[in-house]
Order: sequence, then structure tokens, then C-alpha cells
Amino acid sequence: MVHAVEVDRLEKRFKEIVALDGLTFRVEEGTIFGLIGPNGAGKTTTLRIISTLISPTSGSARVFGHDVVTEASETRKLITYLPEDAGAYKNLSGREYLQFMGRFGSQSEKDLDDMVEDASKISGLGERLRDKVKTYSKGMKRRLLVARALMNKPKLAVLDEPTSGLDVLHAYHVRGIIKQYVKDEGVTVLLSSHNMLEVEHLCDRVALINKGKIVAEGTPAELKTKHKATNLEEVFAQVAGLA
Amino acid sequence: MLKGLRNIVTKEVKELVRDPRILLGIIIAPLLIFPLMGFMIRTSQEAAVESIRNISVGVIDLDQGVFAQNLTDTLRLYGNFRVEELAASGIDEVAGEVQNSNLTAVIVMPSGFSQNLTNGERAELKVYGVFRGGGVAESGAFAAVNSVLQLFEETLTKQRLLDASLDPAAVLEPIDVSARSIVRGEPTNINPDTLFALAMSQFFGFPFSIMLLIILAMQLASTSVASEKEEKTLETLLSLPISRFTILVGKLMGSVIVAAVGAVATIVGVVYYVGSFSFGTTAQIPVDLTQIGLSPGLLGYALLGVSLFVSLLSALALAVVVSVFAEDVRGAQSLLGFLYLPLFLPMLALLFTDINALPLAVRIVLLAIPFTHPMLAARAMLTGEYFTAIWGIAYVSIFTLAVLYAAARIFATEKILTAKISLGKKRPRED
Repeated sequence: MVHAVEVDRLEKRFKEIVALDGLTFRVEEGTIFGLIGPNGAGKTTTLRIISTLISPTSGSARVFGHDVVTEASETRKLITYLPEDAGAYKNLSGREYLQFMGRFGSQSEKDLDDMVEDASKISGLGERLRDKVKTYSKGMKRRLLVARALMNKPKLAVLDEPTSGLDVLHAYHVRGIIKQYVKDEGVTVLLSSHNMLEVEHLCDRVALINKGKIVAEGTPAELKTKHKATNLEEVFAQVAGLA
Repeated sequence: MLKGLRNIVTKEVKELVRDPRILLGIIIAPLLIFPLMGFMIRTSQEAAVESIRNISVGVIDLDQGVFAQNLTDTLRLYGNFRVEELAASGIDEVAGEVQNSNLTAVIVMPSGFSQNLTNGERAELKVYGVFRGGGVAESGAFAAVNSVLQLFEETLTKQRLLDASLDPAAVLEPIDVSARSIVRGEPTNINPDTLFALAMSQFFGFPFSIMLLIILAMQLASTSVASEKEEKTLETLLSLPISRFTILVGKLMGSVIVAAVGAVATIVGVVYYVGSFSFGTTAQIPVDLTQIGLSPGLLGYALLGVSLFVSLLSALALAVVVSVFAEDVRGAQSLLGFLYLPLFLPMLALLFTDINALPLAVRIVLLAIPFTHPMLAARAMLTGEYFTAIWGIAYVSIFTLAVLYAAARIFATEKILTAKISLGKKRPRED
């Protein structure tokens, strides 16, 4: 059976620093998988490798059977990647930005219009899409970028801290949209977060990363039961040796 | 590929043109600054011409003889000056008054002026220019007074030679020098000075414009790459289903298009600026270039165009490679500064001399710099030595391909995200 993501003994070194130390996990198609851990754990490095931006030092990663290094261009057709601190082209309007991004995956102008329409709903930006991105607040920009990552209904959406910079209401809205896209459109989501409570409510399955290694993996319920914890934060504290 | 490329180029052009720094610095400023400079210069020139038209000269005639009267009449008739006869026994009496007047000069004709000239002796004449701070208008007006005095003296000289039964032309200009040029192995009737002036105007204009265009394009390409890093848009762009080479070419094309608009704006501004001067324009030189074979043919223009294009591409590719190592636009512009030296070197060298007149080592260095070649091609257009241009195009093409290959390699790997020139800071660990 082909998994949406298959990561096998992934290692990444930046000179003397070991960012990933033999990471292995699988993501089932049509599910939300969360990589959680503190800053510097290796979440972003993992997502960047899966998104074909950087190469692993050793080990492999596959997206729907395609090796992210040797079949990078095939992989890119299946994914969208939302970096944690991503920006948008500030001199384009929100709509122009979505159109620019959409054109790479759309089959026709109608297709593109539908995508932009979807993005407008996801972002909730409405008329503000006519304004230049440089006039947007941090939260508005993030909503635009999340919308961009989901509007073309990718096979796999790789979202690095999707609700970063959003207020409670908008974070709630975005989480709802992500769940809806997985349920209605069959999109698979691989996301990272250091907000463990958020992940607990959103993800079907989670992997806890610390210092480049997976220290625990399972459904949130399984992990809580196994570690006799009331939430994932407590689970993490136990497995990371903090409690 | 084409759809993706068009999408990238359109985005690049929109982003660059809408950036106020670029819009202002590359398109609007040249259109405003150069014409404004030209307007200022033209206005001052017109003021200078106007002041020369209304020259007033003071005359202190202590001689009261026939030649003194003749000189006063010459100033009025030939100089078209307003002559004011000052009743004084010397300049000291009126100097203060003259300083505050509008007189350009005061001519003092001492007693015995006419008598000395009648006797065939040297006569003394004192001319006082009134200094009010200098400037083109003031010096021009004084030169006009001087030239009328020279005319008066020349007339007297000729008259004396005629009185002595001598041919004034044979005495004053005993040798009839006729300066002509040899162009492309053919003698012509054109004065070499005229050709040199023409060549100077061309040689100055071409390297300057070429350098300007290249600098503009490099700044744009570098901004285009560095701003992706600065605005954190690069990672998203690189994860899109489009080849990295298409992204690279799209960025280069976007920069070329905006640079071309900037270059046109600059050239329009410069043309207006240069046209503001009433001297030094080639239009005043009555030379038919086509007749003497100095007009560039279609092949010449084509070679110059190709040479310019490949050099531009090499400059852009270099700018992209350099910018990859910067973290933001400001850093990229600083790194770009290192590329300006090889750009200025050939321009300065070729402005003053022919490349073949330079020592071999200097020549090799200059020829190794790709930006030298369009400047040589511009000169070859006039001289017809097309082989130089063709050789240059071949060399720059190879150079450009090598740099483009390097740029494409960098774009294809994670170096585009991770490469940085270390300035003593340690790179923070990735999350």
C-alpha cells in the first residue's frame, strides 16, 4: 500500500549540527498528521525535505511513492508547502497573488477562477483581496497563505505552523477549514506545531519530536492513555524526560 | 514551461515596477532629473546669451583723435555695444561708480593714441573688465569686447601691410595648412578635428549608456532574488511545480524588461539633457558619415545588439549568483558593489585610449571582462572591424553560458536557501 508520506531513517546534518537523527514515520492518505515538538526539534527541517527544498544527508522520504530527491518535480506536482514564516509578494494584490500561485496548477481560466473563489472563502478576506498585500496585517497575510496552500486541493498539504500569528477566532476558523478539506476533498495534511493542545484537537495521528528524533507516535488518545496523561503537553513532558 | 515562464515574468515585472524604490529610482528619476538639469543649464545659457546681447562698454577718451573715434564707432557698429563715454581723467575717478553700473568693461584711450598709430608706432590701450563674481555670462561678455578689439587691431595691421605694398594674407598666414583625413584607407576632405570630435561624442555616449543599462539590470536582478529571501517568499516559490531553471529565466527576463524601460527613460532624459547645450552636438558637424563609410551598416547594428544582449545576460546571471549569497536586498546591493569595478574599468580605459595601445597584460584583463566587448563592438561599428565584435560575442556567450550554468546549479540545489557569505555570525540552527 502506498502511503501519502513515507519517511525512513531520515538524517540531516548542517555541518556539525545534527538536525534530524534517523526519523521514521508514515502518513496515511486522507488524514491529518502532526509533528509536534519544541523549537529546534527538527520539525521544519523534516517538512522542508518532504517539500523538496533541501536534501537529506541520508535516509529517504517518499510522497505517494515518489522519492523527494530523485523525483522532486513529480513530488512538487502533488504538494503545496506553507512555510512557517512565509511572506507574500507585497506589491501584488491578494487576488493577484492567488492567481499567480494558482496558474501553476490550474488547467483553465475557469479552474483558476474556482480556485481563487475557494481561496477567498478560506481566507475570509473578501473585498480586501483587491488590496495590495503590503497593506495586510500579519493575521490577514497568514490567512491568505493558508488559503493559497489549500485552494488547489493538493494531494498533500505540508503546513508548517499553519495558525502561527492568528488570533483565537481566526485560528479556530483555519483549523475548521483544514478538517473540512481533509474530509470533503480527500486532502492529506502533514503539519507541524509547537502548540500541542491545538494539535490534539486537529490531528488524527501525531509524532512527538525532540532533538531530531521521534520520541512517541500514535493517535492523541493512544498517547494520553499510554502515558496516563490528560493532554499531549503532559505526554511530551514525560517522554522528553522533563517530568 | 511557456505558461509557467509567462506567469513568472508577469509577476516579476509587476513586482519590480510597483516597488516604489525601483519606480522612482529607475524610471521616474531619470525622466525628471536629467531634463531638470538640462532646463537649468539652458536657462542659464539663455541668460548668458541675453547678457552678451546687451553689453555696455565705458570709454574714457583722453586722446580725442581720429583712431579713438574709429574705435568707438567699431564698438558701436561691429560689437553692437552700447557705448557710454565717461568724462574722467583716469579710471581711478570712476572705478567705484563703474563697479555699481552695468558696464562690462571700460576702455581707456590715453592721450597720443591716434598720434602713435598715425606714426606707425605701438599705441597703448587699457581695458578694464569689471569683475562681479565671474560666471559664464560675465566672461562671455568680456570675451565679446575683446574680440571687437582684436578685429580693430587686425584691420589696422592689414592697413599697415597694404600701405607697405605687402599682401596681408601672405604675411599673416604664410602657410596655407589644409588638414584632411584618411578613413578606411581612403583620403577624404574632412578635417581630422571634426572626425575626432564626432568619434568622442559617440565613444562617450555608447560606453556610458551601456554601463548604465548593465548596472540597472544587475540591480533589478539582484533585488528580484534578494527580495524573495527578504520577504520569505522564496521557499514557497521553490516548492511550486515549475522547474528551477524556468524560475531563473523568468527572473532574468523580468529584469531585462524593466531595465530596458529604465534605460529608455534614462536615454530620453539624457538626450534632452545633452540637447540642452548649444555646443558640442554632432548636428553642428557638417559631415556625411555614410559618404565616407563611417555610418554603421545593418550588420554593425546587429552585432552591437547581440553583443549588448549577451553581455547583459552575463551581468544578470552574475548578479543572480551574487545575490543568492545575500540575506536581504541591502546585502545583495552591497555584494553587487564588487561587480561594479570590472564594469567601470573598461569604460574608463576605452574612453581615453584604444585597447590596442594598452600594455598586453592590461589588454588581457580588459578582454577577460565581458562588459568590455559591447564597448569594443560599438567602436567596431564605426571602424568596420566586425571581426572584433564577432570574437567578443563568442567569448561573452561562452562566459554567459558558464555563469548561467552556475546560477542554474545553485537554483537547483538547496544552496539557494542555505548559501550565505559569513560575516562572522554563526548560522542559527534550523528548527
